[in-house]
Amino acid sequence: MIQLNRVNHQFAIGKKGKERIVPVLHDIDLHVKQGEIVAIVGRSGSGKSTLLNLMSGYIRPTSGEILVNGQNVTKLSEGDWANFRLSHLGFMFQSFQLIPSMTAFENAELPLVLQGVGISKRKQRVMELLEQVGIAEYAGHYPGELSGGQQQRVSVARSLMLDPPIVLADEPTGSLDSDNERQLLALIRTLNEERGTTFVLITHDDQVASTAHRILKLKDGHLLHAYAKGGSLAHEIQ
Amino acid sequence: MKFNDQFRFVRQNMKKNKTRLFMTVLATAMGCSFLIVLASVGFGLQKSIVDKAVGDRMVTSIEIYGIQSDNDEGRQIGTSNLDYLRTVDHVKAVTYRNYIQQSIMITLDGTDVNSSSTINVDFDAENKAGFKLSSGRLPAGENEVVVGYNVRQLPNSQPGDEVPPAKDWIGKSLEMKVSQFAEDGTEQSKTLSVKIVGVTEKPTREWKTDTAVYIGNGTLKQIESFTQTQWGAQRVPGVKDSESGIDKIGLDDPRHYSGVQVIADKANHVKAIAEEIRLKGYISHSIADELKQINLVFLIMKIGLGFIGTIAVLIASIGIFNTMTMAVTERAQDIGIMKAIGAHPNSIRRIFLLESSMIGLLGAAIGTIVAYIISVAVNIGLPIIIRGFMDEKVPDDFRFSLIPPYLAIIACLISLGVALLSGYRPAKRATRIDVLRALRRDM
Repeated sequence: MIQLNRVNHQFAIGKKGKERIVPVLHDIDLHVKQGEIVAIVGRSGSGKSTLLNLMSGYIRPTSGEILVNGQNVTKLSEGDWANFRLSHLGFMFQSFQLIPSMTAFENAELPLVLQGVGISKRKQRVMELLEQVGIAEYAGHYPGELSGGQQQRVSVARSLMLDPPIVLADEPTGSLDSDNERQLLALIRTLNEERGTTFVLITHDDQVASTAHRILKLKDGHLLHAYAKGGSLAHEIQ
Repeated sequence: MKFNDQFRFVRQNMKKNKTRLFMTVLATAMGCSFLIVLASVGFGLQKSIVDKAVGDRMVTSIEIYGIQSDNDEGRQIGTSNLDYLRTVDHVKAVTYRNYIQQSIMITLDGTDVNSSSTINVDFDAENKAGFKLSSGRLPAGENEVVVGYNVRQLPNSQPGDEVPPAKDWIGKSLEMKVSQFAEDGTEQSKTLSVKIVGVTEKPTREWKTDTAVYIGNGTLKQIESFTQTQWGAQRVPGVKDSESGIDKIGLDDPRHYSGVQVIADKANHVKAIAEEIRLKGYISHSIADELKQINLVFLIMKIGLGFIGTIAVLIASIGIFNTMTMAVTERAQDIGIMKAIGAHPNSIRRIFLLESSMIGLLGAAIGTIVAYIISVAVNIGLPIIIRGFMDEKVPDDFRFSLIPPYLAIIACLISLGVALLSGYRPAKRATRIDVLRALRRDM
């Protein structure tokens, strides 16, 4: 489903002409299978977010190639990446990333709007998903009027709106209390089992990681270990 | 992304900072209004001056005064000359106005008609040339005539007196009493009965009146067969025909026409026709010659005024640029979120271009309405001010400002174009917003 072949990434920081090159990821080889929940763990600065950003197309690898759903996306143009994201990927963010001037309904329907779906179909689909995540009664509320848990539900509804085969989540429970965290993880498991949605989660949290079928550990830009569910060592990469 | 949704986004965004939007639209409206009003002065003055120069004449007509003869003296236009003029390329018609050379006593239902003159015209040619009537039609039969617009005006009437409309006479009969003196001095007369079928157009100048009766060639023939002279010329009692010249205008003598006009099919053919007939020795004059010079001067004037007006719109564009740049900066996070979930850069660009073009259109619409109001106010107010302070009277139909629809359309297009240009850079910047930076590197 997602395949990374010898992916390297480095940042250039500092003034132009006097940049300093900071390598972030080194020769990452990774294969996420369809219907899998994969958690990527590691300390702050280990390159977890950079890895997810590469899979999302927000940044491009310095070298190596990335294949998603069999398509080489390494050199897609910005416009093609936008279309690809819309049709293949769903996103969950730590701080939800809802547009403050739009209601929960409008935020959730955004992927449908971008895809050009008609109003009546949109309304039906949005209400269906808001109900599924238990937030339908707050459809007309603005993000500022919702709790963190409610906002994350809107964000989840938005990420699932176009029924993407892959959902990329960066610390999805990072801003949630334990109740909301439990509910979100249960939802992720249900979606994975019922729809076969593939999840790539980035987390610090053991409980979140325990939801995954596979746990990958990043250290200083190197993918170190792959653990099977339950924490037993499945495969040592280095 | 559908247009309706883009439009909804733009509307939502525009509502966020109403004061800023109002000020930007105001600046654009002022620029557009300034452009239209300034150019309208050029249009208004041109119309007033051209109208004054043209008067009742048609821009497609060429007046023929005569023809140069071999001994370099002007000769009058004869029948063969008319035949030649009709054959010139792009000539639609050749018209003439020949006055009947006697005062015909005309009555209607026994009452005298105050007709100043009786004029013979060629109605077939007039029909092609576009003889303008205020009501009725041109004569089709032999004894049908057209009367002047002011034919019912009484001889001693004052300006402003109520005159019954001449069109009420359409369908009525006129009795025309033609007379001729015999060589022994006795007067003989014959009464012709003709039917009024049309009334000429109202003269364009207030001081002009048209009380003539226009007769066709059929009626003329009847008059001439009675008088036995061309154009119904009367013999002078006691004066020999050879002395008065009557003997030279018998029915078999060569005819001379007056008031000859050549009508071109299009205004831009006037010059070529005038050139061709001038080479043949015809002495002519066309209003098109005068208008060309006048129009050229006004064209330069209008371009100059329009250029100054466009500068005002360009100044307004700085406001649009500023507003759009601020809008992009303020909405960087929203744009980042949209890009993060799959918004195409083109959709984002279109949203911002749509917003700047809506500011431009809104400003142009308000500016155009204001410009029309100013134009009307100037046309009403300025003559009053001139009369009040300078003791000068401005002619009634003088226009200081005139906004033809195409001027308003051009000004709106300029405003829209300038708005799109000013919105282009901010819109491009919006598409380049870095997703990670916009999301505060959250993901």
